[in-house]
Amino acid sequence: MTAPIFEVKGLTKKFRGLTALSDVTFQVAPGEILGLIGPNGAGKTTLISLISGTLLPTAGEIHFEGRRIDGLPAFKRARLGIGRTFQVMKPFPGLSVLENVTVGALFGATEGQEKKRAKARELARELLEFTGLTRHAEQRADQLGGPDRKRLEFAKALALHPKLLLLDEVMAGLNHVEVDEVVALIRKIRDRKVTILVIEHVMKAIRNLSDRLLVIHHGQQIAQGKVDEVLADQRVVEAYLGKRRQ
Amino acid sequence: MQLFAQILVNGILLGGLYGLMALGMGLVWGVLNIVNLAHGALIMLGGYAVYYLYTKGGIDPFAALPIAMVLLFLFGYLLQRFLLNLIVRSAQLNTLLITFGLDVVFVYLAQLLFSADFRTINPPYAGSNIDVGGVTIPYAQLAAFLVAIFLAAILFLFLDRTRTGRAIRATAQNLTAARLYGVNPRRIYALTFGTGAALAGAAGGLYGVVSQITPYIGVTLTAKSFVIAILGGLDKPIGVILGGLLLGIAEAMTALYLDPTFTDIISFGLLVLVLVAKPAQILGRA
Amino acid sequence: MKNLQRAGLALLAVGLAAVPFVASDTLVQFGINALLVATLTQGWNIIGGFTGYPSFGNSVFYGLGTYGTAIAMAQLHLPFGVGLVAGGVLGVAFALLFGIPILRLRGPYFAIATLGLAAVMSAIVATIGFAGKNIGLILPLFRGDTLFYELSLVLLVAATGTVAWLARSRFGAGLVAIREDEDAAQVMGINTTMYKVGALALAAFFSSLAGGIHAYWITFIDPGSAFDPTLNVRMVIMTLFGGPGTIFGPVLGSFVLSAVSEVLASKVSTVASLFYGFVIVLAVVFMPKGLLDLFQGFRHSGFRYFAQNMRRFRL
Repeated sequence: MTAPIFEVKGLTKKFRGLTALSDVTFQVAPGEILGLIGPNGAGKTTLISLISGTLLPTAGEIHFEGRRIDGLPAFKRARLGIGRTFQVMKPFPGLSVLENVTVGALFGATEGQEKKRAKARELARELLEFTGLTRHAEQRADQLGGPDRKRLEFAKALALHPKLLLLDEVMAGLNHVEVDEVVALIRKIRDRKVTILVIEHVMKAIRNLSDRLLVIHHGQQIAQGKVDEVLADQRVVEAYLGKRRQ
Repeated sequence: MQLFAQILVNGILLGGLYGLMALGMGLVWGVLNIVNLAHGALIMLGGYAVYYLYTKGGIDPFAALPIAMVLLFLFGYLLQRFLLNLIVRSAQLNTLLITFGLDVVFVYLAQLLFSADFRTINPPYAGSNIDVGGVTIPYAQLAAFLVAIFLAAILFLFLDRTRTGRAIRATAQNLTAARLYGVNPRRIYALTFGTGAALAGAAGGLYGVVSQITPYIGVTLTAKSFVIAILGGLDKPIGVILGGLLLGIAEAMTALYLDPTFTDIISFGLLVLVLVAKPAQILGRA
Repeated sequence: MKNLQRAGLALLAVGLAAVPFVASDTLVQFGINALLVATLTQGWNIIGGFTGYPSFGNSVFYGLGTYGTAIAMAQLHLPFGVGLVAGGVLGVAFALLFGIPILRLRGPYFAIATLGLAAVMSAIVATIGFAGKNIGLILPLFRGDTLFYELSLVLLVAATGTVAWLARSRFGAGLVAIREDEDAAQVMGINTTMYKVGALALAAFFSSLAGGIHAYWITFIDPGSAFDPTLNVRMVIMTLFGGPGTIFGPVLGSFVLSAVSEVLASKVSTVASLFYGFVIVLAVVFMPKGLLDLFQGFRHSGFRYFAQNMRRFRL
């Protein structure tokens, strides 16, 4: 394995005595897609929030490109190149789709020219093209339909020029065709040399996408490794798949 | 020590009434997400309703309370059904603005109709009191306190036990889910606002018995209700009554040990401190 | 088109600047008040309209500007210019100091915390001997309505220019993003704390300078009028009436409402206030997004504008 771009060591989060996440440790190589699975309430979204900085860990370390980042505020991590989407999507409701993405380009990871509004808008238009939102550019974000909102989440996160992208259940509520589109989109993003951590419930999709899997259950990390090995793991079957079969 | 006990009792009696004032505001805020700046004006209208029922109709103020509550309920129901429902889904600032406008309208209508003179509801037993171990407890204040507690208990049972009450609470949690549950939101919103207004009406009547009413009493009472509603946790009746007691005692103690002019500094300073120091706890419901 | 707009605005500014040389004293005095209130409204627009934080503490900035200027002039016998700077520094310092803890709160919680701060401040000032306790301070008399008018106009132009800059700058885009969704803004690289405090400090800057000018003009100040919370309520109403988060909406809204209440105040005051209340209620129902939006929307879709809004915001 090449030197990791991203590394989590012994990450723990407690909410007033309740342990949401306990001693999670893993690494991600550049350009890799790591799938994060686990039953509802396992602590997956907590993990994403800890990485993006909207929550602060109780214990443990997070390293990104060799730099320790667990003490940094969320906006600094975003500027270092960590983008995320929200499970409960968070567009800027009153702004147009184009403006939504422009904000990301104005504040994102690249220094210099994109900070000018005109340049930022240009970049935003490219990303709308990339995510297939061009014809909705002038529409208000709160008037978009479900699948288009997901695309907007992608476009906004990509506007940051992220090196690491955290995707929180971007396929929930989509039909088969739409899921395939999103899978294709994620592959396209990976081809842009973006490392991706993806939380997903749609098993088929995550199996197709992921290079490796990490399984969390009740805040504990119970398995990690190659997709097929992990899915065959007895604990995973019991904790996750077994439960789903009921 | 006796002085301390007396002040404590005064604070508790006043605090119960404060709690009742805040109940209606907290209910409307918690369920409808409307911060009703006209709440104090509704309290004021309730005060006048009881005042006129007593002076013109010769009805004992405590017997007049239910009548005032029914009047205010109807008024609040219609207000929400035909005016506030039109804008509830716009920005929260707009609901602030419209209730502020209503407050202005109510206050100056009251001034035109009832004049700006001080009014006191003065039943024959107003001056009498009972002495418990050197602590004086005025009957009227005690009765007002007991009524406030009684109404809080009724509200709690209403929200907890009745079908309508549960529908109201479901609406507070999630409007979409409440719709699926078969609730007609327009009616529930009007019912909730009406209930809030009825509680304000009761508080106003009691306030008229223990203090004085003018068309302008509303602003301070709105501000205090706001403070207490936040301290108490909005649509949680028991919490709101406790918040009222806390504020009542704090004010009474400040007036005694510091200076009466400091009461506002204390109540609002307390509020700012609580908000800043413990946002997570207060915002826990969010 | 853009040049035409600019020329029109320049003409408007010149026209406004000429008012004291042609108009009556009463009109100039009304003008000073209207300009200062418009400046306050524009200041509120920065924190309330752009950033989405419904502040009820802007009257504190105004009051601190008033007192900073008054103390410098009445107690320390410093010239007006120094007094104005003192007032501005006081207002901005307060915003920076209290902004960080208070701006952690959101929505109504922020509103009530600032309201509480306003109540506490006026009570505290009323106990300070140096600030004249609850009696107040008297400033040296200076008759020069033309100067006060032009000064107020310059301040309003500066405030509106700042808002125009916000509407097209990166900083302003950050504020709007915070208003629309603060959590999302944060993970998009916006230093939300710094931006919010910056917006509050800008609002404080203009509000406290308006307070300083008003203090010297009116020559007598006391805690009740300097920290009057209803002044803040007027800022909110005028902003919402005109159109929050726009450049000219708040100015338009405050001019219209100032004029309405001036006309009405000469009639019976109770009926005037009653009417004011009705205007607010009707404005929320029929133009929930402000006067400016009404103009644009009405030109675009006529009377259907009302129906569209109604359908969107009703339950």
